[in-house]
Amino acid sequence: MPETTIPALQMRTVTKAFGGLTAVDSVDLTVQPGQIFSIIGPNGAGKATVFNLITGIYQPTNGDILLQGQSLKGLTPDRVLRRGIARTFQNIRLFSNMTVMENILVGEHKTFPGDLISIIFHLPNYQSAEKHARTRALELLSFFGPKMVALKDEYAANLSYADRRRVEIARALGSNPKVLLLDEPTAGMNDAETAEAVGYITRMREQFNLTIVLIEHKLQVTMGISDRIAVLDYGKKIAEGLPEEIQRNEQVIEAYLGRKVVVE
Amino acid sequence: MPTFAQFMRAPFARTNHFFETTKLGPYPIAWYVSGWRGGLLVLLAAILFPIFYDQTSIQPLLGDGIQVGIYVILALGLNVVVGYAGLLDLGYVAFFAIGEYVASFLTTGYIFSKLGQSPIIVLKSPMPFILIFPAAALFAGFIGVLFGAPTLRLRGDYLAIVTLGLGEIVPIFFQNVPWFGGNVGASVLYIPNIQLPSLVSSIVGFTTISLTPLLNKAGFYFLTLMMVVIVVLLTNSLRESSLGRAWIAIREDETAASAAGVNLVRTKLLAFAFGAAMGGLGGVLDGANSGSIVPTVFSFNTSITILIMIVLGGIGSLRGVILGAAILRLIDFTLLGQLNTFRQTSPLVTNIHGILHFLALPQFDFNQAKFLIYGLILLAMILLRPQGLLPDRRRQRELVGIGESAEAYSAVGLLEREEAGEGVSGTGSEDMTLFTGSGSDAQGREG
Repeated sequence: MPETTIPALQMRTVTKAFGGLTAVDSVDLTVQPGQIFSIIGPNGAGKATVFNLITGIYQPTNGDILLQGQSLKGLTPDRVLRRGIARTFQNIRLFSNMTVMENILVGEHKTFPGDLISIIFHLPNYQSAEKHARTRALELLSFFGPKMVALKDEYAANLSYADRRRVEIARALGSNPKVLLLDEPTAGMNDAETAEAVGYITRMREQFNLTIVLIEHKLQVTMGISDRIAVLDYGKKIAEGLPEEIQRNEQVIEAYLGRKVVVE
Repeated sequence: MPTFAQFMRAPFARTNHFFETTKLGPYPIAWYVSGWRGGLLVLLAAILFPIFYDQTSIQPLLGDGIQVGIYVILALGLNVVVGYAGLLDLGYVAFFAIGEYVASFLTTGYIFSKLGQSPIIVLKSPMPFILIFPAAALFAGFIGVLFGAPTLRLRGDYLAIVTLGLGEIVPIFFQNVPWFGGNVGASVLYIPNIQLPSLVSSIVGFTTISLTPLLNKAGFYFLTLMMVVIVVLLTNSLRESSLGRAWIAIREDETAASAAGVNLVRTKLLAFAFGAAMGGLGGVLDGANSGSIVPTVFSFNTSITILIMIVLGGIGSLRGVILGAAILRLIDFTLLGQLNTFRQTSPLVTNIHGILHFLALPQFDFNQAKFLIYGLILLAMILLRPQGLLPDRRRQRELVGIGESAEAYSAVGLLEREEAGEGVSGTGSEDMTLFTGSGSDAQGREG
């Protein structure tokens, strides 16, 4: 049975055990190109572990993870990034004592020549890489509006919370990824900021031709923008489907959505 | 009533204020000494100062200058490892030793040809002297990679312990293998004179430049100065590059750096290897300068001395490290000697009722108290000015934690930044500076 499209990202019966604790238990996920795919679930359901597995911070105990049909087994995080998967962190991990521009330039690290000679003597190939990287960093900042461009020489530590989120996403986009993993991109934001974040996440998909995988707690965010949702509970995938299907799923309501649905 | 820390910091604030406000022509003095202009001024002074002395009185001064230059190179090399990449290397002297032995081997051909015999001078140069530098740097860098590859996967304290071991093993290896001259040390380095082209010599009035420091130190002094300039340019270029940014990123947050595409092992290895190569360069210069290899130099004390130079001047700061190396070396050469003279002649010591009479112990020698003095300097720096004398702005942020006053960093030069630093720490919570500093550091790592 030939497949019509190669999935952008696929997890095949992936298991991750820490000693006796199985954080992720035979999870299958298939994310099609261009989708916004959300992973939801109660605290401790294994969502963050899934992200750490995809990005190579952890290696799966069992199973395989494929990017466009190619296995990511055994790759370190930087190699996973070079293959085309970038991520943000739940507790924003910017380099606080670097400027906004420098943070994004680190995100573009893979576009620079790697040999010491080019770097140390600033050879033409290095210079053009640096020039392109800086132009691109400004483009990425201008995606978030002129206000962010004006902050380019500000230290990351001095930024507001919402701006740090933006810079972290810009840093991830710096590597020109095919797949972007966003770990709770609206955590700690108020309603107005959340609405704005939802706006730029959907715009981002169009403009940078991305496949986006999202971990999100706020249901109005997930239900609004996701093409597809998977629900994890105790490391197992208990449901997957369209947002409406998830909202109706008895098992999900029981595990996670119960009270929320009642309120609605 | 100012606290002790305030009292100690006041001179910095006052001198900074003076440099900021006193105008020399169109700009304040600080403008002339900030950034590359300051570097150029120091270089100019280093080039020009020999012309103010006659031939005999300049020789010891040039000798001190050579020593300072060698240690500036070593400190700049270690600064790449410790200051830029944040890897604590306690065995840096290993690469210094490797540089010396490589130079000895390449210039004299003593090793191997005189197996098992006592060291004698073999004046033979199988290789043009100027090629010895890249050769020793490459070899030391190669050994750095060899040792770094398995050890740089370790974090923090473990790396420090392994490098500590390396610093002990390498010198012991050289001392115990008879090929390398054993405890006595190894062969004399032979440095040829440079013959000037006839066109040049007709202009300057002499035909050869002697690089042999035993005869005339001027040639070797300028050679050392040239190497210092090269190393400064190389390290500065590295800092202002994608690699320099990757090092800072690793120092701040390894996980995030890795997720942003920085290959941790490779990037750390480059820092380690580059530092090792600079250690090798320093080794060649030192070997050539002293004319022979004295294995006792390659001790843990030397590694630590170089580390103290960095901490004193300001971790990660080019100018700071240069200053730190110069100060510590000059303490070693001049201050200790002065103190000994003082001890032997001053009535405060020699008179039985003098308040410093306790220094009149027959065996006492300030040279032996060198590391006590270094230790006190280190202690004072860590307590009072952890960012160093001329701090790197980023390290200052990490160590002192000035998050709010961002505009203080964008202005003209470092002196201004320093001034801002004083301003903030002078606002009352003086004794807490260290704690708030480490607090914000921890916060930075969490965030």
